[in-house]
Amino acid sequence: MEEIKSKIIERIKANFSDAKNKSYPGDRIDFSVNKETIPSILFYLKDEMGFKHLSHITCVDWLEENEFEVIFIIWSPLEKLKVFVRTRLDRDNPVMDNIDVIWRQAHTYEREMREMFGIQFNGLEAPQDFLLEDWEGMPPMRRDFDTEGYAAETFFERPGREDAKDVREILTERSGEIVPDFAKKYSR
Amino acid sequence: MEPILYKVFGAVVTIILAFVVGMTYMGLSRKITARVQNRVGPPVYQNFLDALKLISKKTAIHHGIMQMMGPAFFMVTSIGSLMFIPVLNDGRFFSNLNFEGDLVFLLYLMVFGPLGMALGAGQTGNPNSAIGVTRGLSQMVGFEIPWVMALVALMIQYDTTSIVGLMEAQSASGTWLVFSSPFAFIAAVLAMLGMFRYSPFDIVGAPTELASGPVAENGGKYLFTMMSSNSIFAFVKLTLYVDLFLGGADNLIELLIKTFAIYLIPMLYGLVSPRYRTEQAVRYFWGWPLFFGFLAIMYAVVF
Amino acid sequence: MMNDKNSQKIVDIIQNYARLHSLFVLAYGTGCGAIEIPPTMTSRYDAERFGIRGAATPRQADVLLITGYLTTKTLKRVIRVYEQMQDPKYVIGFGSCTINGGMYWDSYNTIKVLDKYLPVDVYINGCMPRPEAVIAGFVKLQSLIREGKAEGAKLYKDNLEQYRENQKKVIPNWVMPEYNW
Repeated sequence: MEEIKSKIIERIKANFSDAKNKSYPGDRIDFSVNKETIPSILFYLKDEMGFKHLSHITCVDWLEENEFEVIFIIWSPLEKLKVFVRTRLDRDNPVMDNIDVIWRQAHTYEREMREMFGIQFNGLEAPQDFLLEDWEGMPPMRRDFDTEGYAAETFFERPGREDAKDVREILTERSGEIVPDFAKKYSR
Repeated sequence: MEPILYKVFGAVVTIILAFVVGMTYMGLSRKITARVQNRVGPPVYQNFLDALKLISKKTAIHHGIMQMMGPAFFMVTSIGSLMFIPVLNDGRFFSNLNFEGDLVFLLYLMVFGPLGMALGAGQTGNPNSAIGVTRGLSQMVGFEIPWVMALVALMIQYDTTSIVGLMEAQSASGTWLVFSSPFAFIAAVLAMLGMFRYSPFDIVGAPTELASGPVAENGGKYLFTMMSSNSIFAFVKLTLYVDLFLGGADNLIELLIKTFAIYLIPMLYGLVSPRYRTEQAVRYFWGWPLFFGFLAIMYAVVF
Repeated sequence: MMNDKNSQKIVDIIQNYARLHSLFVLAYGTGCGAIEIPPTMTSRYDAERFGIRGAATPRQADVLLITGYLTTKTLKRVIRVYEQMQDPKYVIGFGSCTINGGMYWDSYNTIKVLDKYLPVDVYINGCMPRPEAVIAGFVKLQSLIREGKAEGAKLYKDNLEQYRENQKKVIPNWVMPEYNW
């Protein structure tokens, strides 16, 4: 398997100069590329290398670096290998190319990312509402969105529920886990 | 007593009898279904409670005059066809409105109820109702043909178009029509499976895929009307089968035993069957039932 | 001539007897609780012996069983379904999510207190409630009907403006028919 993996990495590096590889054990190959390269590298992987199946598209919010990371996970049924293709977007202006002409099912993931993170895909033809309905303001899956505050402000609260709020702090104290500062602020 | 008053009184008693017996049979079918599925099941009088609850609903929304007409149409058809069925053999009290040729008239009248339901369902505008109606009408095209062929065979064989005439022919010859024209009975019973809309042929009301089909928008009083006319109609069909094939009944106990024996056939067949699709149901009726219908007609012509 | 009040009382007793022994349930299964309904209805727990039976459409149903969390998107549909039901009608809130939000207490799109939006007659606690708990909830509802205390629909009608205000707070785009019965 390692031979096939190194062969694939060599081929990709020869064709795409901006592809940076990070090695992982097992059946996983990892590339980081610029966002302009995404359609061509996915097209190349699908048509030339046999990575025919799009498993997943996901997004990570790197708030401290002011960037979104979009990850495409694709799978080759022939070689039994999966490739992670990562790209970074500017968080203030997250725009990238639409790839639902390569895989039709990417359409659903792109709609979800547009709704939950506010990433705009050039040429994505779909109605704005997907999972949410009549949502206004900041997309809810961004890490600087104050979920607890929004919930407290929008929805009613049953009296007697307040005491359960510091469960996480109590649990971290009890387990002695060290929580970094940014996590205290944004994630609960 | 005045003969006309006597007749009116007899008709009212027949309607009440049909309602009570039909509702009890529906309740019994729920109970037997539950016992077959290893459950305790509702009490036998559950359907009467359901009916009482449905008429005591405070509000009943309607979507137009035809939606009110649909259940009423069905009710009128059920009672109307009940009036042409001789309930007991001696025919003094329960004979109602028999006349020469009533079997042909009954064939025509029994199609009216589903048509009324179709009209009522059309007004509601619910797409499930529309699909249910089209399914019901295509299923009717399926089972009407073997049913009519079985009856035509009987008419040819005994040279009469009256139900009372057929019953007299049975008592004169001493054998039931089940034995003297068996193929007609088989065709009619197979057609009955579709008429009762138990499980393999419950494509009209399919609750999981059509949300109960034509009655989807009917609640409260409309549903009560549908339910009670359904039970009266079930009694009509069962009594017709007993009259035609099992030599009628001399008293009410015999009638109940015979009708319940007939009623068990579609019910127990339904318990062990999954649901057909529409085209499968039609294909079923145009297979063996139709074959037995042809056989019955040939049997009637030759012998 | 009989006293009107007393005769009405007798009619009420008979009607309530029929109502409590014939509950047609419309299960609104958006949450995880929907999986507890099939065992409640089938052989093992057999809710049909209490006269509890599934209804296919809101028009035929008496009880709206809300199983689990409601997002703001599904709340709109539930209100629509509830308003289509015919009076008398009852609501059963099922699971902790309908009571106080449950594990979704800090979610951005899940309502926490159901009885601010719809009149709930009986709550069934648990995450998830077992079928025994569901049947216990139904028996509780039956005793409420017998005493004539299950007046959720009347409450909704009387306090319609307040309920509407709460509902419009979480559903900004309000396109619904008027509730007039």
